[in-house]
Amino acid sequence: MSFLLSTLRRRLSLKRLQRRGGPRPKSGNGFRRFWSWTALIVGGLYFFLPLIGTLEFSLRMRRGEYSLDAYRSVLEDPRFQQTLGYSVIMALATIVVGILIVVPTAYWVRLRLPRWRPVIEFITLLPLVIPAIVVVFGYIRLFNTSSFLPMTGTTMGTNILLMFGYVMLALPYTYRAVDTGLSTIDVRSLTEAAQSLGASWVTIIGRLILPNVFGAVMSGAFLSFAIVIGEFTMASLLNRPAFGPYMQILGANRAYEPAALAVIAFAITWACMGLLSLVTRITRVGRAGK
Amino acid sequence: MSFLELQNLEKSFGDTRVVKDFNLNVAKGEFISLLGPSGCGKTTVLRMVAGFEAPTSGRISVDGKDITRLRANQRNVGMVFQSYALFPNLTVAQNVGFGLKVAGVPKSERNPRIADMLALIGLPDLGDRYPWQLSGGQQQRVALARALAPKPQMLLLDEPLSALDAKVRVSLRNQIREIQQQLGITTIFVTHDQEEAMAISDRIVVMHQGVADQIAAPQDIYNRPSTEFVAGFVGTLNRLTADVLDPETGHIRIGGSEITLGQPLPAGRVTLSARPEAFRLAATGIAAQVTKVEFLGALISVAAQIDDTPVSFVLFNGGDDPVPEPGSRIHLQIAPSRLLIKQAA
Amino acid sequence: MSQKFGWNWLGVVPFLAFALLFLMLPTMNIVIGAFRTPGGGFTLANVQGLFSPRIMSSFILSIQISAASALLGCLIGFAIAAAMVHGGLPKWLRGPITTFSGVASNFAGVPLAFAFIATLGRVGLVTMLLRDWFGINIYAMGFNLLSFWGLTLTYLFFQIPLMVLIITPALDGLKKEWREAAEVLGASGWQYWRMVALPVLFPSLLGTFALLFANSFGAIATAYALTGSTLSIVPIMLYAQIRGDVLQDPHLGYAMAFGMIVVTGAANLVYIILRTRAERWMR
Repeated sequence: MSFLLSTLRRRLSLKRLQRRGGPRPKSGNGFRRFWSWTALIVGGLYFFLPLIGTLEFSLRMRRGEYSLDAYRSVLEDPRFQQTLGYSVIMALATIVVGILIVVPTAYWVRLRLPRWRPVIEFITLLPLVIPAIVVVFGYIRLFNTSSFLPMTGTTMGTNILLMFGYVMLALPYTYRAVDTGLSTIDVRSLTEAAQSLGASWVTIIGRLILPNVFGAVMSGAFLSFAIVIGEFTMASLLNRPAFGPYMQILGANRAYEPAALAVIAFAITWACMGLLSLVTRITRVGRAGK
Repeated sequence: MSFLELQNLEKSFGDTRVVKDFNLNVAKGEFISLLGPSGCGKTTVLRMVAGFEAPTSGRISVDGKDITRLRANQRNVGMVFQSYALFPNLTVAQNVGFGLKVAGVPKSERNPRIADMLALIGLPDLGDRYPWQLSGGQQQRVALARALAPKPQMLLLDEPLSALDAKVRVSLRNQIREIQQQLGITTIFVTHDQEEAMAISDRIVVMHQGVADQIAAPQDIYNRPSTEFVAGFVGTLNRLTADVLDPETGHIRIGGSEITLGQPLPAGRVTLSARPEAFRLAATGIAAQVTKVEFLGALISVAAQIDDTPVSFVLFNGGDDPVPEPGSRIHLQIAPSRLLIKQAA
Repeated sequence: MSQKFGWNWLGVVPFLAFALLFLMLPTMNIVIGAFRTPGGGFTLANVQGLFSPRIMSSFILSIQISAASALLGCLIGFAIAAAMVHGGLPKWLRGPITTFSGVASNFAGVPLAFAFIATLGRVGLVTMLLRDWFGINIYAMGFNLLSFWGLTLTYLFFQIPLMVLIITPALDGLKKEWREAAEVLGASGWQYWRMVALPVLFPSLLGTFALLFANSFGAIATAYALTGSTLSIVPIMLYAQIRGDVLQDPHLGYAMAFGMIVVTGAANLVYIILRTRAERWMR
């Protein structure tokens, strides 16, 4: 498809050259464009073939014809609904707690503790360096039933622990998104103006800062959602009935359902990213409109 | 014979014709400015000479050789950009030596040339610095040295002073002119600042909507503008409407006053265009009311109104005439030789 | 002033408490555990245990897979990003490519394994098409999805888009004037890339490589769902160890986790050192 487009485009540009009566001085351009298209097409094949392959495979359940049987089988599975529901709730909780931790911190660091910024940023980047499996291993040891904080002793405690683990996993992305959002507004002047009008801290953060970084916060939220919804390692090692471990178990026991699940998971990720780019676009337009 | 020749140069982006039938001959060692408002096509002309844009039609030749189809890296021209465009990862010396290095000049020949160039721009000790450690003016001088180091046959300057402070701007432009005359290098300078163009050019090309309105020496551009646009763009221009009462003697009425210019005029209504220095204070003449007096040092700029038409003119500080007070009524005489007269519609 | 500073730190206490409790203390617990005997005394035996052939080979395999997928991810992702930013491709392509990269870089874990099984597994779409249309039986030729190259190929699905996302802003930061200045000074396109563009991009390239390396080094879900436990890479062995103590020595688990931190930490240390050297010209 895109190859056709490129040949067409090159034809058109060739025509234009003939009309001009000579090649352009930058004859390296055509060469560069050729390699660009090559890189893009090879990349495109690599990325689309697995998606097409998965889709095709997921429709193969009934012998000899394409059907939606695999999807029906997945969607009717009560464990699918339970685990997906569990993961959605975990994701929402992660987003709320993540915002509560990240937004005031990023705001406060920008307003009052600019010298702490490198330290805080370093901490927020740690989850990219320390593998999640190491951290969750630490959870199991640190919060066991005989520890100072026996969170793994109760179901609710484990849920909360998992949720905090997810907040930690998403921290590099949420913090960066919110901090970038804050960098586009003059935090100090806005705050001082609000204080001079007698606004309280709750009012300042809730009514002034949050709306201004709404787009950034939503970006972080959708990213968190995409990370949490299919997360496997932490949920599995903490023995929680989440969507990720469910998919893994299904994959080990069935043939066609996993492909259907992969398509569904891809659609969920796509929806998150689509909403994310929609939100960024809307907020950007809104800002440009001011 | 001219060194650089631009013949019937045309450039269109899509359906927009940015440069229209542009012709220019530049002599060897000449300093030419392309002057005009933004979007007039001056930068496009320069970029076509540099080889970054291909002309839609027309011909560019240097020293008799057609270079229209040559790529930028084969043209042997030096270029200085508005944003300095120094390579941030290279030291000052490495920046200056870049053109020599890519040409395969060995280090032993490169280093003395770099030292010469740094001495030429007056920064002999900064070779080991990185661009971010220099001020804007220093960076632009390094960019100039970088452009000149490979001994280009032409120097192209794309608004090189626009990003600098006023004071640096003046000193650097003088330095550019000095170096240019010292090396005798053919130079094209693009600017939107008429004062800059006037100060350093041998000739100025005033461009307007893709067309060269006038190509002439600075004095001629100012004193004898060939079009209304040139007259308005270069320097301040006062425009007055007058009724011609006697076409033969040039007796006219401006506002409530009548004066005689002593030269034949078309009958009816005319527009008079006059530079600030065409006016002088007198006991009789056109009645005007002073609105603002601005002290500029050697000169005093006076704004006044003739009925509802604003005019501005200048007085010498310490001249014979007393400086008028704002609000006072004055009379003005116009030097007929400095007037541009056009029949009004 | 000092009085004022005295209370300002209170504002970040919730964050620090969170980071301490759920990130740093758990990690410290593992690190300390790696040097402890079951009785609580100090020992190097656990760390020495890492050098047993079985664990060593798993570390080497993990490092190889991570390095290969990070390197290829960097190269291919860079090619795609460069094509998009500087390659003269139509402008409208940028939005879709960026959005798709966002999706694909997050499409990791279990479903990614399913997708590759459905594509390049023994009965996957591409495997079948190659066999039926071109007569190429990739499995007969020695390809196996459950192998080093299979896993690397799968990891590239999130590594390449991650590279595209990170390096695109850096490529945007290359000023058009640098290229033009180099060109007008007589440099070829290759000379411009070698002498200006790549050195300027080097810190970003290096940082992304370190990130991609850590990213695949710690990844479990994809490998586990793809290979079960047939491919003994470090995270899978550690996972199995935590679940069921397959090494018959609980403290070896601590040591393995510690080893993982050392590897990713070393990758980032190398990055930081090289970066400081590469950034002499920066502020």
